Amino acid sequence: MASFEQHMHPKPTTFISKYIISYDHKVIGKQFLWYGILGLGIGGMMALLIRWTLAFPGEAFPILGHFLFPETNGVVPPDVYAMLFTMHGTIMIFYAITPILIGAFGNFCIPLMIGARDMVFPTLNMLSFHFAVLSFVLLLAGLFTPLGAAAGGWTSYPTLSTLVGSPGIGQTLWTLAIFVLGVSSTMGAINYITTIIVLRAPGMGYFDMPLTVWGLWLTAILNAIFLPVLGAGCLLLIFDRTFGTQFFLAGAAATNGVGDPVLFQHVFWIFGHPEVYILILPAWGMVSDFLSFFARKPAFGAKATALAMTSITILSTLVYGHHMFTTQMSPLLTQSFMTLTMTISIPSAIFFANWLGTIWKGSIRFTSPMLFSLGVVFVFGLGGLTGLYLGTVTTDIYLHDTYFVVGHFHYTMAASVLLGGFAAIYFWMPKMFGVMMNETWAKIHFWGTMLGLNIVFFGMMLVGYAGMHRRLYNPFVYEFLEKTIPINTWITWGALIMGASQIIFVISFIYAVFFEKEKAGDNPWEVGTLEWTIPSPAPHYNFDKIPVVKCGPHELGNPSLTGDRDFQYQTEELVQA
Amino acid sequence: MSNEFTADTLNGTIKEQYVSNISMIVTLVSFTMLFATMFLGYALYRLTSETWPPMGMESVSLGLPILSTVIIALSSISFCMYERSYAKSDAQSSWLWATSAFGTLFLVSQLMLWSSLQASGLYASSGIFGSIIYAFTWVHSAHILMGLGALAWLGLRIKRKKAILMTVKNVGKFWHFLGIVWLIMFITIFAI
Ligand SMILES: [Cu+2]
Repeated sequence: MASFEQHMHPKPTTFISKYIISYDHKVIGKQFLWYGILGLGIGGMMALLIRWTLAFPGEAFPILGHFLFPETNGVVPPDVYAMLFTMHGTIMIFYAITPILIGAFGNFCIPLMIGARDMVFPTLNMLSFHFAVLSFVLLLAGLFTPLGAAAGGWTSYPTLSTLVGSPGIGQTLWTLAIFVLGVSSTMGAINYITTIIVLRAPGMGYFDMPLTVWGLWLTAILNAIFLPVLGAGCLLLIFDRTFGTQFFLAGAAATNGVGDPVLFQHVFWIFGHPEVYILILPAWGMVSDFLSFFARKPAFGAKATALAMTSITILSTLVYGHHMFTTQMSPLLTQSFMTLTMTISIPSAIFFANWLGTIWKGSIRFTSPMLFSLGVVFVFGLGGLTGLYLGTVTTDIYLHDTYFVVGHFHYTMAASVLLGGFAAIYFWMPKMFGVMMNETWAKIHFWGTMLGLNIVFFGMMLVGYAGMHRRLYNPFVYEFLEKTIPINTWITWGALIMGASQIIFVISFIYAVFFEKEKAGDNPWEVGTLEWTIPSPAPHYNFDKIPVVKCGPHELGNPSLTGDRDFQYQTEELVQA
Repeated sequence: MSNEFTADTLNGTIKEQYVSNISMIVTLVSFTMLFATMFLGYALYRLTSETWPPMGMESVSLGLPILSTVIIALSSISFCMYERSYAKSDAQSSWLWATSAFGTLFLVSQLMLWSSLQASGLYASSGIFGSIIYAFTWVHSAHILMGLGALAWLGLRIKRKKAILMTVKNVGKFWHFLGIVWLIMFITIFAI
């Protein structure tokens, strides 16, 4: 495969060429990591404001409240509440999880794990980050416009998002920001797909790639296909808002010649359901690898896991209708979408069983990446199972737009993806920054996060089942929801625990990156994938000599191994009995 | 983009073509999905409407769209000629100039289309019919601008002797793609 040399840029020397306009995939990965952590912080603060309002309606938000909302004596006003849940969702999905899992670890891991010196298009890679920054600036600018930021929910359904529902410029900026981010992610996706196809080290077949790379690759494919769909929807929405076209204005085309708001929902979810898998696939891949690495066993059915992920990728393109059961869809369609949705359970069950098979009878090392990976197994199980109730028409009609939905997608997206992201940060920290993060604090971070998130998201499903609607400013004006105030208060305490645990993480992370003196070893976790064959942190252009791959990524605990190692590097010939 | 490689060995050149080819296919898939989504929306509006154009609006007269079609076809043909001459390592840059000139003319014909539509009282805000005609032509013209940029970039690369046949072919693929999109637009929006 790799029969040619990549062009090398000289090692950068100035601050700007090193950290701002860098062609180096490792630096771009770090840029995305900081960007994502910033997004997590902003989105998290918004979540706390939302939770405060739901637990203590009409009470001033402590400390910051009087500064942020002087007109209402520190109470979050209703219009701001709508902006908060809109921006919280948007930021967490597109500006926190996406940059951490796909931007940071996609960039960092792909070349290192396939034995390449860099991405195939470094310039495109750099541009992709700069577009992402531009997009975040556009989005946040909305907060400072006269009528405030977008407030139509992260799904931005018309007519909430047309000029009728949101007259302010904030919604236009939101739409533009998502479009620009789509361009950025599509550039990244083109780069990832091509890199994985052409730059795998000699000897590395597709099934010799770590499952992390599989996850990132499938994600990139979905991104390249479906982000333009959302892009088209955003373009039409921008036209509606600024040039007076009437695509999403309510009304029937035949009788009064104007558009159809439900069309946006179709376009949004044709993109939106694959987006769920865009977010989760990298985490799945990483967790599949980590479980094997820390159970000191080969990944159980690694090939089947890769194929199951592939079939989920394909199936995920055919099920979007399950988000729209309540839009007067024909029963024939709802039944078909329901059946297709249920079909996804089959490959999901296969790789879930493979995860359990991997840790079964393993000699498990409970390191921080392993704890977080086991956390993913647990929360993803819960999130996946509750999805069945929403994919079933009969139950969905009751649960639609309640907090049950919120709890479900936070279990799958917030909990699973975030825990997967943390596992990745702890795991690749030595290769990224050359230091280890403190294990004790990592474990406190894990248990705090795990406790907090389960209180929050399980509580959400409970109040949702009781009928609490997801976007009400003060649901307790309804008598039947008054009784949920105590649970809502509990949820908020859970959110505070979760938030406090993230402060531990941020301090520990910043300490490790800037102040930690003790250098990490080249292979502290004792695993055999290619990135661990080179020094920590990974040097300029990674590999002195392009490695030749001779075995798979999960060769651990082979009984025929002699010597003091229980694993072998991918560059070593497989030991036979 | 393929400049990130030094292609000094035969192997290297083959590989480089392979790289630019794969990435171009992925890029075109992305662009196809963008336009496909818009066509999907159009199909839905059209199928759910009893009459088309709706609301007793008048169809657009075909003169200018036909002119645009002829111009864009000529530009595609001239690029084919350029590609052929390049492959025979006898690159005739006049064909490249012709492609760009026809591309620019196409944009002019679109401007004329917009002003004639406005003169006849059809605006972007005139219901879904106007919205569709304007939005499709806007988005397509924006891509033609990008295509012209790609042609200029290609010209520069060839001048600096940095292009390979695959670079020429890839720019061609993008240019022909825009021609095909226009043809589908012409048939579905203007002709029927
Ligand atoms: Cu879905």
